Amino acid sequence: MASALYFCDDKGKPLLSRRYKDDVPLSAIDKFSTLLLDCEEQSSILPPCISHSGIDYLFIQHNDLYIVALATSLNTNVATIFTFLHRLMAVLGEYLKTVEEESIRDNFIIIYELLDEMMDYGIPQVTETKMLKQYITQKSYKLVKSHKKKRNAARPPTALTNSVSWRPEGIKYKKNEAFLDIVESINMLISQSGQVVRSEIIGAVKIKSRLSGMPDLKLGINDRGIFTKYLEGNDIGTSPAVEEVDDKAKKTKNNESSITNDGKKARSNIELEDLKFHQCVRLSKFENEKIITFIPPDGDFDLMNYRLTTSIKPLIWCDVKMQTHSNSRIEISCKAKAQIKKKSIATNVEILIPVPDDADTPTFKYSHGSLKYVPEKSAILWKIRSFPGGKEYSMRAEMLLPSISNTEETKLKRPVQVKFQIPYFTTSGIQVRYLKINEPTLQYKSYPWVRYITQSGDDYTIRVSNN
Amino acid sequence: MSDQRVFSRYKASEIRADLQNVELKKAKMNTLRRKAALKKIIANLTLGNYAEMIQLFPDILKFWKVEDDMEVKRICHEYTRTIGSIKPRSTVESMPNIMEDLKSHDEDLQIMALETLVNIPFTKFTEEAFNFIIGLVNRRSTSSRLLKTAIYSLLQLDDWDHERVMSLSNILYEIVEQHLESPSVQIAALKTLYTLHDKNKKLEPFSLSVDIAYNLLDIIPELNEWDTSSLLECLVVTVVPTTHSDAYEMINIALSQLQHVNTSVSLNALKFILYLINYVDEIDVSITERLSNSVVALLEKPSELQFLILRNIILLLLTREKPIIQVDVSYFFIEFNDPIYIKDTKLECLYLLANESTLPRILEELEQYSTDIDIQMSRKAVRAIGNLAVKLGDIAADNCVDTLLHLAEFGVDYVVQEIISVFKNILRKYPNRYRKELILFTKYMDCIQEPESKNAMIWIVSNYSEILHNYAELFDIFIADITDEPPEVQFSILNASVKLFVKSPSPHIENICMTLFKTFTEEVNNPDLRGRAFMYWKLLSMAKERPNLLNEDMLKDIVDGELPVIELNSKLDPVILEELELNIGSITSIYLKPTVQIFRQNKIKSLPQSPVLNANKNSLIITHSKQVVSDPIKRDSNHTSSSSLKDVPSTKGSRISTMGDYDRPAQKVNELKGKRKSSSDSPVKNLTRKPSLLIRKLSLKRNK
Repeated sequence: MASALYFCDDKGKPLLSRRYKDDVPLSAIDKFSTLLLDCEEQSSILPPCISHSGIDYLFIQHNDLYIVALATSLNTNVATIFTFLHRLMAVLGEYLKTVEEESIRDNFIIIYELLDEMMDYGIPQVTETKMLKQYITQKSYKLVKSHKKKRNAARPPTALTNSVSWRPEGIKYKKNEAFLDIVESINMLISQSGQVVRSEIIGAVKIKSRLSGMPDLKLGINDRGIFTKYLEGNDIGTSPAVEEVDDKAKKTKNNESSITNDGKKARSNIELEDLKFHQCVRLSKFENEKIITFIPPDGDFDLMNYRLTTSIKPLIWCDVKMQTHSNSRIEISCKAKAQIKKKSIATNVEILIPVPDDADTPTFKYSHGSLKYVPEKSAILWKIRSFPGGKEYSMRAEMLLPSISNTEETKLKRPVQVKFQIPYFTTSGIQVRYLKINEPTLQYKSYPWVRYITQSGDDYTIRVSNN
Repeated sequence: MSDQRVFSRYKASEIRADLQNVELKKAKMNTLRRKAALKKIIANLTLGNYAEMIQLFPDILKFWKVEDDMEVKRICHEYTRTIGSIKPRSTVESMPNIMEDLKSHDEDLQIMALETLVNIPFTKFTEEAFNFIIGLVNRRSTSSRLLKTAIYSLLQLDDWDHERVMSLSNILYEIVEQHLESPSVQIAALKTLYTLHDKNKKLEPFSLSVDIAYNLLDIIPELNEWDTSSLLECLVVTVVPTTHSDAYEMINIALSQLQHVNTSVSLNALKFILYLINYVDEIDVSITERLSNSVVALLEKPSELQFLILRNIILLLLTREKPIIQVDVSYFFIEFNDPIYIKDTKLECLYLLANESTLPRILEELEQYSTDIDIQMSRKAVRAIGNLAVKLGDIAADNCVDTLLHLAEFGVDYVVQEIISVFKNILRKYPNRYRKELILFTKYMDCIQEPESKNAMIWIVSNYSEILHNYAELFDIFIADITDEPPEVQFSILNASVKLFVKSPSPHIENICMTLFKTFTEEVNNPDLRGRAFMYWKLLSMAKERPNLLNEDMLKDIVDGELPVIELNSKLDPVILEELELNIGSITSIYLKPTVQIFRQNKIKSLPQSPVLNANKNSLIITHSKQVVSDPIKRDSNHTSSSSLKDVPSTKGSRISTMGDYDRPAQKVNELKGKRKSSSDSPVKNLTRKPSLLIRKLSLKRNK
């Protein structure tokens, strides 16, 4: 349980505060900035948790802000607090667009209200923006009066505590649509010799729902690996999930077909190692029957996250060679290859190649894309708008080095970072079979849309050898 | 419109002028004006301008009566709460206003009023708050939102009037037990009871019967994410399974919650399951796999959460001889963009995970870190390699030493110094295995600057003088400017020179000893050092003058006695571990220290007794059979009798005997922390300091 929440600027000075319990002194936050400094001075390691005279400062950083939660007791569940703080930032992001010092100051009344609704006595309550918006609508000064009336009239009294706490009743759309995006981010660490040290696929199924009433959705995914993983040993044929898929795919097939499907499954079996679902998914139903059913919140949300660690070969592979010539110039050559299907095209490829801090006067030779020297990052940025599968592009760069160099050789080696997007393609091969939308009372026609995209994750790096 | 100008310090009179400037213009303009003025008040309270703002109290009261706008009301309440927590007495006048709001029909206003009452530490307010809450709780029919707030507010009231809150605890129990229409009220009551019991040492530990626990677990589908998280947290320790099948059943219910996207839910589910595992005798491998997977998945979170998870992984790796989670080492490979505290923690995980099979991969990574990343990290990586050599067997040590030698060839100062420091430990563990290698290190004498590596080198030279032919020359380098050395180096030079003299008395060494004795007793101002020098001096002269009293062997034994073999013990005391495991996800799990050390007032958590409690954590069997989960009851009857009774007496004894070294946390954790401190005074550190720090420091000064 948090005793108080503070928004602090980048020096640790408080901007705004909400005290939930009266057990920390008002002056406690004033020590925060000095604590930050002390910690950094003692060692460059600055953990997100500082303890000082019985008070614990748990904080996250967001843009130029520190968001600090103060806690006094051991009871404090750090996981809850950090999760809450990140949620809080997400919610504020939807209210204020960018959350930074200035927007905090500009909107402090609304933030006070939000903090009141989101936490009671240090215990998180509601963090769904759509639900909060019922209580706290974005206030511009002109709208105050009319909005007040609306609020008194329309609000159902116990919305926050009813059984579907993430979706208000009475939503109406003219056209009922659900957009489904499957986004896979690839994280990869490749050694200088081209060996993949670590690779994983982080997938997310994102839904934007624009549906009226209280719709019940059912999602079918092609891969039976998901559903059979936890069912090993059980009779797969009787699993309703499998039947469902069969029903949809081939209506006339009977039980025998599921046996043949089992054989197919063995071939295309991928192992989604961990699935995480949004709170709207009925976890117990998934646990028992392996069906993904849910009443979606209104608007955008992540329905499901998954992760795969099957080793994959690099989708974009760069062979970077650097040669330093007698302290006067450095030669960099890079060969990039799109190791994807011929039909697919990688777009917005960005290859960031680090160069020494003191290099200057770059000269470039390249066949495709555009090359730029980015001195503030000490790197060369190679941008390729579209990169068809199977193609290989190359570039060469030469830069001058100062002839007098630091005697103490710095051994800092930074990796090459690669960013890209590949539309209409999933690395894991996951596919949506169907998305059934059923609203029991309204019975409207609805349109599901599905998109796939593979992109680089936060960490797609290639180590460089430096000779 | 921007509120920017609101955030500056105002005088009370200025704001008052704004507020009273009312009658002149149109009504609509006035409300806007007044609201802006009120906002200024709140902004000033945030800035800490209390003294001025307190003067505005009468004005606030005036508006409170007149206005019925929610925003104004909110500001009035906020004002009263802030002033109330500083000067409770001065807010008494606002009592009638608050009471009026409390009786209103608007739920929001009622909640606001209640919170204000609760927040002000003054008996009159507390009194009213209690009356209101008792009324609410007895009526039950009131809106669940209000009821929920009322129940949570007891947590705050407990600080003012403990007795009265406890008198309500029976009603809270009732609420928890009954299945109400609104499950979140149930959870509120549960959480409140749990926290109250946890806060007060005198109370009996909070406990729930298994039936109630089942009822509560049944309502999970109706709860929102935060309530689910609270529920799972509260059930740990409070519910005690009495049979194996109960424990299995609850594990199965909790398993599905591991897949919740909210970290706090899944981590609390993990905690609950780990707690329950103490009450089963065996567990299917599929469950441990799911636990491991969920832990790994949690690593894909914002860095603060990732840090927390990593710390808890350390804990899980330490808890049992065979850790319950199996995680591939590659997840702990350091990424370039990781914040430094994550890198640090990942290094610890790698160290703990290392065994014969994973060593080659880990060594390869550590070697990368020692040359790749920044200085701090590379030192730690080198240290980790050295510690691995000590921790694992001699074959693994060979690999580690090879890696170290390879790293030393780079010739980077700080790496070499670090290598020499850890090499000393390796020699302590394997005194005769690396005689050849240690000769190689003598060529790096020039690099050695820091006290720690100097000490290590001095020790190596004095201990292996028989194979280092040029030991006398090497030693001369150290004593060149002996008076300028830091005390710890002076001590080790003194010890080493005496040791050398005793081992092989040559005139050269004797000379050195004599000069050292003279300098240390006459020139140096350190009393400890002087004492030590005198002691050795007398010892040596006694051995010379009266060999019958102190013969050569005895002297050798005193000066160059056999050192105990060092072990790196990364295990924690079981009692501490048990407690830490029950506190997964809490602050203690970050520090990995027992609660009493950090929070002295807190209760110590321990596993409640039950006939099915496993006395020894390591007695848990991980089975590979598939029907374990689906058919727990049948299996259960076979196992209860055999496992649960047998182990109890023997392990109880061992638990108590290890209590002595409870304050020694995991060796590795200590090692790194100690290292941080010492390296921070060294000159190398200054080079690594980030420019951002300097800038921040400067700007902070300017602000003052």
